[in-house]
Amino acid sequence: MALSEIFFPKRMWRPRPELKRRYEVVIVGGGSHGLATAYYLAKRHGITDVAILEKSYVGSGASGRNTTIIRSNYRTPEGAAFYGESVRLYEGLSDKLDFNLMFSQHGHLTLAHSDRAMITMQERAEVNRLLGIRSSVIDPPRIAELCPELDLSQRPAYPVVGALYHPPGGIIRHDAVVWGFARAADSRGVEIHPNTEVTGFARSGDRIVSVETSRGRVECGQVVSATAGWSSLVGRLVGIRLPITTHILQAFVTEPVKPFLDVVLVSSQLHVYVSQTDRGEFLIGAEIEPYTTYKSTGTLSFLEYSAAHTLELLPQLERAKVLRTWTGLCDLSPDYSPILGKTEIDNFHVSTGWGTYGFKAAPIVGVTLAELVASGRTPDLIAPFAMERFHTDTLVSELAAAAVSH
Amino acid sequence: MRLERRDGERIDRSRAVSFTFAGWRITGFEGDTIATAAFAAGKRVFSRSFKYHRPRGLLCCSGHCPNCQMTVDGVPNVRVCTEPIREGAVVEGQNVRWSLDFDFMSLTDKIGGPFTPVGFYYRTFIRPRAAWPLYEKFLRSAAGLGALDPHAGHTRRYDTEHRRARVLVVGGGAAGRAAALEAAQAGPGVVLVDEDPRNRDLALPGVEVLAPARALGIWEGGLVPVDADTVLYRFRAERIVVATGATEQPLVFPGNDLVGVMLPDGVRRLIGDYSIRPGERAVVLGSDDETLAIADELMDVGVEVEKVVDLRDVRPRELSAQGGKGRVRRLVLNGERYGCDLLVASGGRQPAYSLLAQAGARVEFDDSLGVFVPTELPDGVEAVGSVTGAGLPRIAPEPAYEGKGKCFVCVCEDVTTKDMKRAIGEGFDSIELAKRYTTTTMGPCQGKLCHLSSIRVYAEETRMFESAIGTTTARPPWAPVELGLLAGRELTPTRRGSIHWRHQEAGATIQWAGPWKRPYAYGEHPEDEVRAVHESLGVIDVSTLGKLLVEGREAVQLLERLYPSRFGDMKPGRIRYGVLTSDGGRIMDDGTIARLADDLFYVTTTSTGADAVTAWFQWWNAVWAYDAEIVNVTGALAAVNLAGPRAREALGRLVEDPDDVSAEDFKYLDAHELVVAGVPTLALRIGFVGELGYELHFPSPAGEHLWDALVGEGARPFGLEPQRVLRLEKGHVIVGQDTDSESNLYSAGMSWLPKLDKDDFVGKFALEHFVQREEKEQLVGFTMEEDVVPAEGAQIVVDGMPVGRVTSARHSEAVGQVIGLAWVPGERSEPGTRVEIQVDRLRRGARITDGAFFDPSGARMRS
Repeated sequence: MALSEIFFPKRMWRPRPELKRRYEVVIVGGGSHGLATAYYLAKRHGITDVAILEKSYVGSGASGRNTTIIRSNYRTPEGAAFYGESVRLYEGLSDKLDFNLMFSQHGHLTLAHSDRAMITMQERAEVNRLLGIRSSVIDPPRIAELCPELDLSQRPAYPVVGALYHPPGGIIRHDAVVWGFARAADSRGVEIHPNTEVTGFARSGDRIVSVETSRGRVECGQVVSATAGWSSLVGRLVGIRLPITTHILQAFVTEPVKPFLDVVLVSSQLHVYVSQTDRGEFLIGAEIEPYTTYKSTGTLSFLEYSAAHTLELLPQLERAKVLRTWTGLCDLSPDYSPILGKTEIDNFHVSTGWGTYGFKAAPIVGVTLAELVASGRTPDLIAPFAMERFHTDTLVSELAAAAVSH
Repeated sequence: MRLERRDGERIDRSRAVSFTFAGWRITGFEGDTIATAAFAAGKRVFSRSFKYHRPRGLLCCSGHCPNCQMTVDGVPNVRVCTEPIREGAVVEGQNVRWSLDFDFMSLTDKIGGPFTPVGFYYRTFIRPRAAWPLYEKFLRSAAGLGALDPHAGHTRRYDTEHRRARVLVVGGGAAGRAAALEAAQAGPGVVLVDEDPRNRDLALPGVEVLAPARALGIWEGGLVPVDADTVLYRFRAERIVVATGATEQPLVFPGNDLVGVMLPDGVRRLIGDYSIRPGERAVVLGSDDETLAIADELMDVGVEVEKVVDLRDVRPRELSAQGGKGRVRRLVLNGERYGCDLLVASGGRQPAYSLLAQAGARVEFDDSLGVFVPTELPDGVEAVGSVTGAGLPRIAPEPAYEGKGKCFVCVCEDVTTKDMKRAIGEGFDSIELAKRYTTTTMGPCQGKLCHLSSIRVYAEETRMFESAIGTTTARPPWAPVELGLLAGRELTPTRRGSIHWRHQEAGATIQWAGPWKRPYAYGEHPEDEVRAVHESLGVIDVSTLGKLLVEGREAVQLLERLYPSRFGDMKPGRIRYGVLTSDGGRIMDDGTIARLADDLFYVTTTSTGADAVTAWFQWWNAVWAYDAEIVNVTGALAAVNLAGPRAREALGRLVEDPDDVSAEDFKYLDAHELVVAGVPTLALRIGFVGELGYELHFPSPAGEHLWDALVGEGARPFGLEPQRVLRLEKGHVIVGQDTDSESNLYSAGMSWLPKLDKDDFVGKFALEHFVQREEKEQLVGFTMEEDVVPAEGAQIVVDGMPVGRVTSARHSEAVGQVIGLAWVPGERSEPGTRVEIQVDRLRRGARITDGAFFDPSGARMRS
């Protein structure tokens, strides 16, 4: 019981001084996807001979840099079904992990500023409804009821004409998700090895036989790469090419002020999304930068246009102060949908191509990848996201709805 | 406790200024800050802390720490120690229930401690799940510092100014001034930026001084934004000299947050600038001569110095401050008690390297100084003075002292040494993890006063060296900056065509269409406008179309490689429809290509695609290096489409010789140069709306003139909505509405368009692949069985699952039915197939058609 830990603190996960010679499953990347996969491998399939190799500390990458928005109102039926399952898992996760992830489902509003945007909203609402996801197109008076703080007047250059309303959407404490999975995986015997960088793979034909790390070599049964923005580099170490480009995404928080904004606001036209955390900070992010880079220095122009666009929606934030800004890496696939599952290497599985959506999918990625690793079969839910689709050209286009839909 | 008049004081005692402070009327002097005036009037508590709601008083007095954050005239989180006094200001405490002196929420400090250790919220209110929203509501009500008015609008005007400097010096201390003066010897263009309001009147020969103003960061290419309250200067400098000095660090001991515990610089400011006696009885704690020297300064102004502790000599087993009602009363040192109401304590100075780190410098722990120093500065950036570590005394005190009471590492977030140790014990054993778990350094000071302390405490607890731990990343901005300032003045460019005001005068409903403002319709009845085009004559402003001239010996090669179509066989004076495909064979944009001469083409694009297509053309032309020039004439030319059975007759009356537009001399898909109503015009005979029509392109300045002439001939203006209906009746697609980023020419029903026997062109590889397979989806037309219009975006449903989608749908008077375009699975794309569309939660039947609903042979537009 977690409550007792208030008085009797316990270690979240064990330090692991040595790497073993061999693991049944080696997971590259100690973020939310890698940890979730390890957790479900142990919990649902009894596979505990698992090592997570993390080059820095757990949650040091995109898991700890995203803007914590959870939603499932995707455009494609494949995407909506997949993320719908993810939200359902997230809803029960605090209980399952015995760790309060502070999932705050106050609703998610994707604003439309043009009649063209309304068509996209309508389409998403229809797809969502058919798949049992709560989602509807609402008009400005209804928006005003849900978010009286939003400027719905004709003052802004692009007045709001409607919104896609997704009641189960909301925000979560992203680090808690990482730590909760890490603790639960560790308690089931999974080994978490921070500061352990993967430097190469040894192959025998179409199989990986061992993994080289900064702390020595380990043999492996199966390998899962859950390395987000670094995926194509890990792929290169294995000897395969992934159709992934890496871009940065920037975000910032303001100084904490008394909370008044409960819903998540997203505007694709203004390239901005805004939420207010339980600490009172406004958390604001923008679109992926158009250029590819691994360099994590952000840009001033991001701060400038995000500030300007935020004030179009919420002019009362004029004197709120930006406290801190940061960047994260995003792994983009050509159709903005993930690449999940098998690769041309028999025992090498990937979770990549997430763009800005990866964190939202952590639990369902864990469940499905664990099932794939344990059974060797690709679960139906992720079949559309197979890498083969780029050879067969059966893409799953989230691109049309993607222009900032966090 | 104002002292007698002193030399160098910054207050003007002849000018009294009054304001309200937490309900009290307080009078200070011109030159005071809000905090100094309040302090002089006896106020000591300025805020309540973030978590425990402990009373907090002045600590740094230099605008860095969170202790004096108050709400001033409705603006939250203002550091009043640097906020100039002003008449009538209303200053209020924030994040308190009741008042600054009696805050109910401070119960969390008194009794909540054991229940609310670091990270307690991760362990509580997990079950039942239904209770979490309630608890969260409470948590949210307790969170945040000051309050913004949730319904306020814009109140200030901000500006952005682009500046250049030869040398930009950041920091106006001794080193910064010296660097600026030296640079000024070599010539003009030297700017010094300093955040201290006391440097407002600083004058340095040959140097432009901006103060108070803050350099927020050093971004790519040496871009330094400077916050000067309502102006943001975006500086680019040849050389950037960082002289940001070193920031005094709080000493970490129990009770170190009590009101009356201050940093030496803060005390010096109160005495020297504002002539305030900071206390009656003082104790001084320090490990460097600079700190200890304050004892004499205190005695000079009549403060009784009870005890001076030099921590280089004394290694206390126990050191703590104790107090009552949140105010310091005594220092306890190894069991001895020293009464005081002022405890001046410093843990030494840490170089303020943030700007340098952000610019790309490395930050290393200097073992001899015990602080982090910047090394390996990037090109164009220099550091001078104590920011380099030069001249700093070694940090001698213990990372933390033992004693009774809460011992704060981070005052912003109320993180104690106990919290840090607990976090490490729980396994958050990297400094970044510990930071994220405890939130130390993540508060308003952003680590200025807690970064070093937290790393030292961490190092001691984990028995590691600071050098091995390293720092956490320095994230811009250097100091919090208002969103309004970053946003600058609101400026959203709007594009309007040269005929725009005629539409406005005619009462059109104007709406956004991409970057343009365009008429939606000219009244409540768009169907009347549709009817006018079918039966008589209409005119629409299509000036927003992208327009490119492509000229040169190899212009035709360029176009043939960009488009899947062929253009080499076109005669001058002819037009062809063209669709641009991406490398992946996807539809990008469409338009018409008119050959005006052997080496000259006139290309139109969609209204929203104009910029992207221009860039696409130029990019590829640069890659292929053809002898061809691309000129974007989108803004230079206006365009209107005159359409309807009477189009020829009306146009004939406006040209010199009506035979120029006769059916024989001006055929469908011809491009002719005409003079229309005296205006030289390129006329394209095309039929997007399905009737006999002429798209007239002519110089923008003649827009209103030609428009008036056409309306004078009886053409009824029509807007975007009627145009959408008209083109839908013909089954003409709108790229971006009927197609998306995955649509290709085969699935979109344009298999006649690509010429795969051509030499290479963009997307050919993919198209060759597509042509060999069955398309998963097809774009088709449909008619509804009933008279209901499905929403655009409505789903085609099979067995309760979405399998396709409606992209366009309208009621058509001319067809007498509801018609539309939709994507359906390949196996359901045969004309005549019945599908079901979900409309308002009900399934409605529809029949697939080939999409040409009206005049399928095209006789009308070719007539």
